[in-house]
Amino acid sequence: MALLRVENLSVGYKSKHGLIHAVNNISFSIEKGRSLGFVGESGCGKTTLGMTLMGLLPENASILQGDIFFNDDNLAGFNDEKWRTFRGKEISMIFQAAMNALNPVIRVDEQIAEVIAIHNPQMPRTQVFDQVKKIFDLVEIPEDRLRDFPHQYSGGMKQRAIIAMALACAPKLIIADEPTTALDVIVQDQILKEIKKIQTALNTSLIFISHDIAVVADVCRDICVMYGGQIVEKGNREEVFQSPRHPYTRSLLESFLTLDSNGDIKVPEIRESPDLITITGGCSFAASCKKKCEKCENRNPGWVNLSSTHQALCFEEVIHKD
Amino acid sequence: MKNTKNRPENKNHYVERFTKGWAIYIKNPMGKAGLIILLIFMLMAIASFFVPLLGPVYDPMTGADPNITYSTGPSFQHWLGTDFIGRDLFVQLLEGAKVAFIVGLSCAFISVVLGTAIGMISGYAGGIIDTLLMRVADIFMVLPSLVILLILASLWELSIWVIIFIIAIMRWPSVSRIIRSQTLSLKSRPFIEASRVAGASNFRIIFKHIMPNVLPLAFLYMTFRVTSAILVEAALSFLGFGDPGQVSWGMMLQWVWSSGHMFQAPYWLLPPGICISLLTLSFYMLGRAMDEVLDPRLRKEGEGE
Amino acid sequence: MTEEQNNQTPIIELNGVTKEYSSKKNFLSKGEASIIALNNISLAIQKKEIFGLVGQSGSGKTTIGRILVKLEEPTKGIIKLNGKPTNNLKGRLLKNYRSKVQMIFQDPYQSLNPHLSIAETIIEPLVVNRIGNTATRREKVIETLEIVGLSPGQEFFHRYPHQLSGGQRQRVAVARAIILDPEFIVADEPTSMMDATIAIQLFQLLLDIRKKFKMTFLFITHNLAAAKYLCDRIAVINNGVIVETGIADKVIKNPQNAYTKKLILAQPGFNFKN
Repeated sequence: MALLRVENLSVGYKSKHGLIHAVNNISFSIEKGRSLGFVGESGCGKTTLGMTLMGLLPENASILQGDIFFNDDNLAGFNDEKWRTFRGKEISMIFQAAMNALNPVIRVDEQIAEVIAIHNPQMPRTQVFDQVKKIFDLVEIPEDRLRDFPHQYSGGMKQRAIIAMALACAPKLIIADEPTTALDVIVQDQILKEIKKIQTALNTSLIFISHDIAVVADVCRDICVMYGGQIVEKGNREEVFQSPRHPYTRSLLESFLTLDSNGDIKVPEIRESPDLITITGGCSFAASCKKKCEKCENRNPGWVNLSSTHQALCFEEVIHKD
Repeated sequence: MKNTKNRPENKNHYVERFTKGWAIYIKNPMGKAGLIILLIFMLMAIASFFVPLLGPVYDPMTGADPNITYSTGPSFQHWLGTDFIGRDLFVQLLEGAKVAFIVGLSCAFISVVLGTAIGMISGYAGGIIDTLLMRVADIFMVLPSLVILLILASLWELSIWVIIFIIAIMRWPSVSRIIRSQTLSLKSRPFIEASRVAGASNFRIIFKHIMPNVLPLAFLYMTFRVTSAILVEAALSFLGFGDPGQVSWGMMLQWVWSSGHMFQAPYWLLPPGICISLLTLSFYMLGRAMDEVLDPRLRKEGEGE
Repeated sequence: MTEEQNNQTPIIELNGVTKEYSSKKNFLSKGEASIIALNNISLAIQKKEIFGLVGQSGSGKTTIGRILVKLEEPTKGIIKLNGKPTNNLKGRLLKNYRSKVQMIFQDPYQSLNPHLSIAETIIEPLVVNRIGNTATRREKVIETLEIVGLSPGQEFFHRYPHQLSGGQRQRVAVARAIILDPEFIVADEPTSMMDATIAIQLFQLLLDIRKKFKMTFLFITHNLAAAKYLCDRIAVINNGVIVETGIADKVIKNPQNAYTKKLILAQPGFNFKN
């Protein structure tokens, strides 16, 4: 059975211009020990999705429909009280802004210990700190830096401490939302290696959210590409990145600059973030799609199966048109 | 929000900003209440120009009712009663409203204009100019304004305009401190640097780029300055150092006190006291509601742009 | 670089440029602490090339850009524009320099004054340099808007920054930078706040502008892949020191410096072997 199963999830934000459909009818599941990457550009709904899975939606946002099954619990129906005991213990999150996630006036080891103590109130204090030491060992922060304050850490060390905090209660699922975006390439490389190593070592499940397709390809085995609040293509990383079929995935890959690319870059004609307020019938990518046909604009596309694991939200004709 | 980006809009930017701010303002119950009270006082102040036209009896300063030689309570002839020489209290109250507005607004205006200009120059110029101006501001800030006014008023008879000017001079430093810190944070913003790279002069940067960004804040501070100016003038008049030729709420209180009616004539004591409190309260509420318009952090999620 | 270009005077030359920031400590502690942001930088940028300056945050790359547009002065060293030293310019000479050297800033949400319309923003360089009259300025603004891909220009003329998307805002910033027809433009991470699909469109615009107007660019970035795509030559900067300079493709294919090698190795790529 899947560890996490999301079915027909929709999340909306109230705004003075109307309801913003940030996440629109999303379904996916993740098995124990797997890594699933969500990739998409700003406004695609990936961060809202992460926040929904952590029960951290802001006040003006709500789940409009759908279920989130975690083992036997349905997280979509959780109240604040239930989330408090659940969050951090079963699912934990690695945030983007490492500098702000640590309290500047409390020593780093005590911040991690606090997380453990909250979820294990009976555990004796010495045992809690033993646990902290073990976790710091895992994320490779030297033991003599344990009693430091956050400002004494470098950016990379802070991000490691954040990872340590996420690991504190041995969660079954870790959600990482752009954990390396603020970091330099060299530090990013180290942190990504760290995340991969820990994920395999502890056999936890990982949901990794990023705008950077190379980073996601590096960390995750399974990939969901998001556009306009929907998953538009999913499959394992070889399928999605080596033989992309959805027109959006294609332009995303074609316009992505790597050190190996030489002159084969195609400049896409993508308008920025689609209108998420007025949901018309029809494909959300139609306005920027090079291959669109008449029905793209007035009929909703369905899932086209490309292999047992690879699917794209598009029309059969469009996918096979070249 | 992103969806507004393709909406064609030809409305004037400032009109649009105002209507947007107004929409947030009017949702605030405090802002609404403040505005209603303020409107009532404005009507009173306007009425004060017309009432004396009814006859010499209704002049707030000289219009004593020849039939009355002592303080009387409310009657049909004199709605709030009369003072000890038979002047109509309601007429005095209306006159007091006018004076309070004149004192409050002109004081606030002078101190805010001065404070904004000095704050912008100080923050933008930096260095020695900044240090000098801010030390001067510090000196003014620690001066006890009421005491100084009392000393000056006991030496010379001060007219209402001199009092207004002195209060304004005492009150600019706190405005310029706020505007200076706002200017400091604006100064390093890329759009100011972009303008410098384009070749804009310091004068142009201050007035074209920094001023529109600090004006709303200056305007907000103006409402708070109004409150303090009205209170200082009232205190001064009550203590007997006001402009003796000018009726004001503080002056009315002074007359109640000096004529020994403090505990005999509540119809005389209470109206000016209540008016002072209500008017300053309404400006304060106005300011608080405007604060919410200007500071998006105080606004509730989802209402903002 | 072709040999012909090597013989020309470079458009921009930095000679031994050093920048120190001294932070005066309070009176209790002795002395001044100074941070060396740039250490003896020498660079020459040739006409019509796009020169990339690649480095991580804190490497000093942005400081070089700010020195070139005279937002800061170097502590030591000489900056030359077309062979003439330009240190400590004042008044008319500074204005003249600035009409030749322009900048595109990193964050298009911060670099446009929210209270000025698009037209007012783009027209500013013309106004402060007293070029043209109301009618010709208006024409020039609309023409420039269309060059940067905001067409029809009339439609964007009266809009305000908050009505535009990030990509459109950055195009406005580009329009402001090119309206004086400068010789040299510093582009400081112009796409770091943008999605990849939008960024590549802006790169295309910069390439088009270079071709059309024969402008020279200094492209400051942390992204090696972007530098490779856009630049003729690149310099890699680390801790205020330039560690390697050369033709972009060559530096990336065959890096000589240890730091450059490390940077290239750390670049995430599509390798599915792990």
